Amino acid sequence: MKNKTNSCPNQSEKLKLISMLANKAIASIKNGSLKKRNLVWLELTGCSGNIISLLDGVNPGFRNLATQMVNIIYDNSLMVADGEAAMEKLFSIADDDYILLVEGAVATKDDGLYNVIGQLNGQPVTAYRAINELGPKASYVIAMGACACDGGVTAAKPNPSHAVSIQSVLNRKVIKLPGCPCHPDWLMGTLSYILLYGQPELDSKDRPTMFYSTLIHDICPRRPFFDQGIFAEKLGDKTCMFKIGCRGPVTPVDCPIRKWNQHVNWPIGDDSPCIGCAQFGFPDRMEPFISYNTTREE
Amino acid sequence: MSERIVINPVTRISGFLEIDTTVDNSIVSDAQTKGLLFRGFEKMLTGRSPFDAVYFTQRICGICSSAHAMASTMALEDAMDIAVPDQGKYLRDIIHGCEYLQNHIRHFYQYTLPDFIKLPQNNTLFAANQTDLRLPKPKNDLIALHYLDSLEISRSAHEMLAILGGKAPHNHGIFIGGITTQATKEKISRLYSLLHNIKEFIDNKMVPDAQTIAHYYQDYFDMGRGYGNFLSFGCFNNYSQLGTLYLNPFTYHDDVKQALDPDKITENIVTSWYTDQTDTFTPYETIAEPDRAKSQAYSWVKAPRYDGLPYESGPLARMWLSGEYRHGISAMDRTLARVFEAKKIAEIIKVLLSNLIPGVDLQQKYTIPDHTVGKGLIDTTRGALGHWLKIENKVISFYQLITPTTWNLSTRTGDNLPGPGEKALIGTRINDTASPIELGRIIRSFDPCISCATHLYRDGSLVNSVQIVS
Amino acid sequence: MSEQQLYNKDFEHIISEINNTIDSLYLTKNCYDKNKLLNNLRRQIANITMLMQNNRINTDSMIDPKNPTASKVFTPAELATYTGKDGNLAYVAVNGVVYDMTNVAAWGGATHFGLTPGKDLTGVFASCHDGQPILSTLPVVGVMAP
Ligand code: HEM
Ligand code: SF4
Repeated sequence: MKNKTNSCPNQSEKLKLISMLANKAIASIKNGSLKKRNLVWLELTGCSGNIISLLDGVNPGFRNLATQMVNIIYDNSLMVADGEAAMEKLFSIADDDYILLVEGAVATKDDGLYNVIGQLNGQPVTAYRAINELGPKASYVIAMGACACDGGVTAAKPNPSHAVSIQSVLNRKVIKLPGCPCHPDWLMGTLSYILLYGQPELDSKDRPTMFYSTLIHDICPRRPFFDQGIFAEKLGDKTCMFKIGCRGPVTPVDCPIRKWNQHVNWPIGDDSPCIGCAQFGFPDRMEPFISYNTTREE
Repeated sequence: MSERIVINPVTRISGFLEIDTTVDNSIVSDAQTKGLLFRGFEKMLTGRSPFDAVYFTQRICGICSSAHAMASTMALEDAMDIAVPDQGKYLRDIIHGCEYLQNHIRHFYQYTLPDFIKLPQNNTLFAANQTDLRLPKPKNDLIALHYLDSLEISRSAHEMLAILGGKAPHNHGIFIGGITTQATKEKISRLYSLLHNIKEFIDNKMVPDAQTIAHYYQDYFDMGRGYGNFLSFGCFNNYSQLGTLYLNPFTYHDDVKQALDPDKITENIVTSWYTDQTDTFTPYETIAEPDRAKSQAYSWVKAPRYDGLPYESGPLARMWLSGEYRHGISAMDRTLARVFEAKKIAEIIKVLLSNLIPGVDLQQKYTIPDHTVGKGLIDTTRGALGHWLKIENKVISFYQLITPTTWNLSTRTGDNLPGPGEKALIGTRINDTASPIELGRIIRSFDPCISCATHLYRDGSLVNSVQIVS
Repeated sequence: MSEQQLYNKDFEHIISEINNTIDSLYLTKNCYDKNKLLNNLRRQIANITMLMQNNRINTDSMIDPKNPTASKVFTPAELATYTGKDGNLAYVAVNGVVYDMTNVAAWGGATHFGLTPGKDLTGVFASCHDGQPILSTLPVVGVMAP
């Protein structure tokens, strides 16, 4: 299965791009021509899905990131320190150079108290405070996942925690990597590029064009079915998911080629519709995800 | 001498947690566990299409998303009166089993072990002032190496999941009727080979590593006991051909093992920041309204009870109820049970794989009844998970969630009995109050997931003044 | 400029873009640039597809969008039956013209960014797609009653 998918030149080129960037960054750091930079992984109001997704990445994977590419100063899911010591570590970086990765939205209700990420000097540190103190000083801010980019599921109607995107509290450039979760390649590619050359080319919504420029629908292997009007009636069918509510035609990202988890599969490949998790407006504006009862007779 | 020890954040868990303890003469005399994150999924789900619940509720949790897919799917099947064929059960239980493997491996190596071993201190991620590390250097360094090796293994557990589920986290596979796609010969053989590597790792590294830790930290067999009340909704069971491969729904209390009766489950909000007409209610009854101003409350985690009592759920509860692990009840037993369970789950997946028939299409065009109710109760990686839903006019009108961590890190009811996590902390001797490593070790043994458990948070502490940011 | 002229110009423009991209592809060795150029190529092909669809619709269509008065007239109540559900077609009105969204890719399952058919969406269209050449690519089925 693996060999088969890797033999697609389209896919292997896409995959090569990430490992080329990462290997180049790693080599430059090894030979001293690039400095290892500090990285802060700030998890706010979300589900920890982006750190799990990063751990699922390969070539380069988390091991490369943590041991060869950057100094991870803070990451609540994996760091050994805890309690105030962890918080001190986080805030002591503020005067240094660091790249800030954010997953999760920012809860703003009741002065941010719906999401407290720790305690410093006996005071609770809200997600809202953390992003406000650490966001402006970072050399780059990267929003990972639907929640950080656009509020995502955390801000879904009726948005009980009054969650907002990172951009709505920061008055600065925020590179956005939407997806629920963010694909590890999108993150590692963007990060490697930043380490090597600085900010990558972004589209009008600050998404790196190297990943977010082609609609799923334009490179979907089921496109011939769409063009011929052969539509799936139910999940599990091998034809076009359009009538069930596929969001591939409004979602510009490279899932059909890159695929997920060692590039083995993806939602449409699993005979289910794309739910537009990498498009702004997810989930509220992408629902209903699955509809059987549409323009076709029952 | 009375002292207050607060740990916030408790890192290396899922989500945000505070441990707040009072220590008298080195002994924890009182403890509160507080979840610090609120998103309010129950409210969000109201008004949405019932089919969407399966993908939507997965977003509750990034590390156990398949668990919510299972519970919501089962709740919908219950509501719509759909019987699932064995092939459908096998396929989705394989997906769910892969989530167990991923979770248990990551929890043991990435979340638990750093409390017991020294990882390379020149790495900023691992640098910390740790105390009470007891492993001799060669053993320590070998396990530290396995920490890195394990990354590849847990990753391939998610690769297995994606082969059937499309992607992980937040898979597309688990759905009404089983899974969306069909098994193929190619997929099955790929799954076998990935499983083989994972099993090798568990047998040859993970189990011995856990035994090494247990050997050097024997005192943890006497710490963090909790109540010893266990509850499970069952998992890997109800196959018409294979019967039960793991466990049926049971409870354990006072040395008596009994079949679980879901009608005995209640939730209580006396010490949680919610109000309602009643403090105690059954899952179908009501979704309590958040109320920050409630005076006697100290946390936003609710207090689920079974027959009025707090119960622990999770790997130790399951292994205890199935009779496969009866060594003891403690922090170390919880960790060992989780590791042994990983081995068992790998074996179960192998059995399920060998029973798959390629090419069975499990999907239909479903229609939603106008009015119906349904529940999905299933044991998942961290323990007993329940989804209760009502459908009116073809949309979700009510959605109740009780997650494993709500059981384990439950708050108190009117009788002031602490939750299982709190109970496990109370009575613990803290060697060095400047470095209370015992607390983290005990609470992590529960594998808490606050993203799942909390519905609302506010700092309930009356000692600290709450800083207002705007 | 007539529709046809506009169409021809767009077409030529995109073809020259594609030629440019291919020229650059010959020159580039860098994997990053190559991927970027290939992404561009995909985009340009998608644009051509859209133009072709546009042309096909305008020639196939029984109704002249420039002179829609001769076509079927919908009352709001009539439009409201084209809900895209229960086997009904999906019609949407914008600026007094009624479009058939039933087989428009961006309206998968007959919904689009939380919008449902059977309605006049002039306001939302203006707020979401102002200045984008979208309407001319959609099949016209009639006009709204004045
Ligand atoms: C809530 C307001 C709306 C939003 C946020 C919205 C958003 C979008 C977005 C983001 C895309 C482009 C995907 C891409 O190419 O990257 C798109 C495409 C499209 N939208 Fe909308 N839209 C809205 C309203 C409408 C309305 C009212 C119509 C109907 C007349 C419409 C018809 C279309 C069509 C036909 C396309 C495909 C265009 C193409 O092929 O390039 N949209 N919409
Ligand atoms: S499955 Fe979705 S993305 Fe693929 S061709 Fe059909 S509508 Fe387009």
